[in-house]
Amino acid sequence: MNKFAPSLLAVGLAAALVGCQENGPQDDKITINKNPYPSTYTPISTSSTLITNATVLTGTGERLDDADVLLVDGKVLQVGKDLAAKADTTIDAQGKWVTPGIIDVHSHLGAYPNPSVESHQDGNEMTSPNTAEVWVEHSVWPQDPGFNRAREGGITSLQILPGSANLFGGRGVTLKNVPAHTMQGMKFPDAPYGLKMACGENPKRVYGRKGVLPSTRMGNMAGSAWIGAQEYKRAWDKYDAEYAAGKNPDVPNRDIKYDTLRGVLEGEVMIHNHCYKAEEMAMMIDLSKEFNYHAGTFHHGIEAYKIADLLADNGSCAALWPDWWGFKMEAYDMVQENVAIVDAVKNSCAVVHSDSDTTIQRLNQEAAKVMYRANENGFDISEEHAIKWITTNAAKSLGIDDKTGSLEAGKQGDVVIWNQSPFSVYAKAEQVFVDGAKVYDRNDSTYQATSDFMLGQK
Amino acid sequence: MKNLSRSFSLSLVAAGLFASGAVNAQSLAIINATIHTSTEQGVLEGASIVMDNGKITAINPAQVNADEIIDANGKIVTPGFIASNNQLGLVEVGAVAGSRDAGDDKAGIDFDVSLAYNAHSSLIPYARKGGVTRDVITPYGGDSIFAGLASVVDLSGSLESNIQKQAALVVHLGERRKGSRAFTLQTLINKLDAHQTKLSKKDKKDDDKPSTEDKVMAKVLSGDMPLVISVSRASDIVELIKVKEQFGVNLVLSGAQDAVVVKEQIAKANIPVIISAMDNLPGSFDSLHANLNNAGLLEKAGVKVLLTVGGDASHNIYQLRFDAGNAVSYGMSQQGALKAVTSNVADVFGINAGSIEVGKAADVVMWTNDPFEISSNVSRMFINGTEVSTQSRQDKLRDRYTTDSNMPRAYTK
Repeated sequence: MNKFAPSLLAVGLAAALVGCQENGPQDDKITINKNPYPSTYTPISTSSTLITNATVLTGTGERLDDADVLLVDGKVLQVGKDLAAKADTTIDAQGKWVTPGIIDVHSHLGAYPNPSVESHQDGNEMTSPNTAEVWVEHSVWPQDPGFNRAREGGITSLQILPGSANLFGGRGVTLKNVPAHTMQGMKFPDAPYGLKMACGENPKRVYGRKGVLPSTRMGNMAGSAWIGAQEYKRAWDKYDAEYAAGKNPDVPNRDIKYDTLRGVLEGEVMIHNHCYKAEEMAMMIDLSKEFNYHAGTFHHGIEAYKIADLLADNGSCAALWPDWWGFKMEAYDMVQENVAIVDAVKNSCAVVHSDSDTTIQRLNQEAAKVMYRANENGFDISEEHAIKWITTNAAKSLGIDDKTGSLEAGKQGDVVIWNQSPFSVYAKAEQVFVDGAKVYDRNDSTYQATSDFMLGQK
Repeated sequence: MKNLSRSFSLSLVAAGLFASGAVNAQSLAIINATIHTSTEQGVLEGASIVMDNGKITAINPAQVNADEIIDANGKIVTPGFIASNNQLGLVEVGAVAGSRDAGDDKAGIDFDVSLAYNAHSSLIPYARKGGVTRDVITPYGGDSIFAGLASVVDLSGSLESNIQKQAALVVHLGERRKGSRAFTLQTLINKLDAHQTKLSKKDKKDDDKPSTEDKVMAKVLSGDMPLVISVSRASDIVELIKVKEQFGVNLVLSGAQDAVVVKEQIAKANIPVIISAMDNLPGSFDSLHANLNNAGLLEKAGVKVLLTVGGDASHNIYQLRFDAGNAVSYGMSQQGALKAVTSNVADVFGINAGSIEVGKAADVVMWTNDPFEISSNVSRMFINGTEVSTQSRQDKLRDRYTTDSNMPRAYTK
């Protein structure tokens, strides 16, 4: 159960043996390590690159024609016309388009990898409706060939989430889409953790079959986990406060599950809630208010268009498909303009996501579907705006918008060069950069990564 | 020449003529079109096409005579697209068991899913958004390797839809959750062998009334009915080429992620291949060669390629045109990709549609621009010469929630 440092246990036991000495000499302070599997990622190279004469969509809503992008020390240094700059490499991108690296907020790569064999089904810990104690990063197989395919589609960052069988599926993890042979080698430094939650059909189906709560939607909403989380937080806050006051308080019991929920209550862990239907999203927002946490991003919100105002008022992103539907009853009310309707509201945060090892390779086309269908039906959405759905808004949903998602000075050098407008069916990512380093080149096999699994196969 | 205005043709919409699945009594012509024929004729500029009595009756006649004439203003006209390998009209909601009719544990050679076809399914108008006018509905079967019989339906959405039954026998081979692929292939061979023996005896005066299975297998063995086998691994395909040689069946490969490994043999054996152009992940050890380039590579090797939508195909049939566009992006020729969603499907399943040719069903789509491009859309479409709408339930929902009203949304219809 306690998979963290055994030393914690030992210290805890020692404290118990000597008993409570509230005013005696203080035992060692027990601090919960919030980052026990730290990122070991470092950018592949730090040489500078100048991309010239491109049509640049900055991700901030701007389009710059015949513009340059300068990447130095892994960061965007400058974006603009006729930059008077020298770089180690200059790329003439005449006729090409440049965007921020594409971000997918909802992926199961590595946890449900290819090949999709029995021993690779690591995305749903279907043993309890609340498995907030599991971390999907422990399931990530970095050799999933899907990471390489996604990079070839311009994906530079992605969040891997547990599946949706459980009300609390566990922690998600945000990765840089760089080839590595450990999960830590891909882990996005300093990105907040996500917590996967799920509404609707999946949890009640999975646990209803087992004869345990929840078997209904009202069972889904019976939010007793948050009561426990509040008590847990109070206990640790009390311990910290008393210790700080010079006392020697008992160390509260440790519970990894509640570490995660406490992280949500403290605003450190961001909720990513699989929730399709308008009425369920509305109730999830109320539940968050009752227990004083942020409801986070709603994923797969097929009916988000019915409550676009409510989502914006709550500061909730909605991560949506352009057109998937009909596979479940809760996915029946799809409209192709869902993203655009959510997006049209002031303070909205509309995101196009994939939840697919296939469409993650073409999030640009997924965004294009929304833009064109919406424009045929009364909207007036430009490419420079629509690109936000898969860049800046996605970064905001993951809490990494201060680091990536746009081409602004100081942001990480995550960049895609496209052969043409990324909103065309014929668009292809030609070169992809992560932190200023080239990680993919369609025309140079030196920059085409191959999974261990595919190596030497006939 | 009677040139009716666009406003008149729009009023046809208002009159509700769209709902009809019957053959249009009116004759109809499209003039000044860029017609992608899906035949050896290729693309005809400034061309005209006449439809009457449900069929294409003339292409570029000296004089256009029709009850209604539509000026395409140079825009692209194609044959209606033909989807395949999905359960359109056989499923409403994937997870709602009562709305799923494409499979049955006991399904076998005589399993005819068209008996369950629901022309009023909400999936059909949505599929039309992709310019799809016909579809090969395909059983997914049950415990047997024989999934059942595919049928071809038009997408008129009418209870009088044209249904071409027994278009193919569908078989599932390759990797198994339990047991060996050898056993399943042996089962197929034994079945073909048994029926071949039976047929040869029948020649010597056997008066037993043939069962449905007997009749189906007779058509399969004569090559009159395509035998569609879902399979992927190259070694399995090589074995199936031997089966084709032994029994003379009209073999069609479906799925076929690794067909590219043996593309020359497949081309030589004249075996069509149904693939998803987007299938590029090694889902299993059977599909290590799945690649976005495969459609183009197979085409170049001389294989007749049919494109189908992968994954939950039934609800996403409209995406077929985007798949075709991506196939072009990764090496297929533009006209080859068009054939892969029209005439190649028609050829394999014996459908009298899928090309702009005199005598073919008048399944015709007018496009705002390049049919494969995301920015384009269907402007008008015709099935059996009758105009059909692309408006679907999804459009009504959108309009309900984007129309201002002081009343609850439920009053906006």
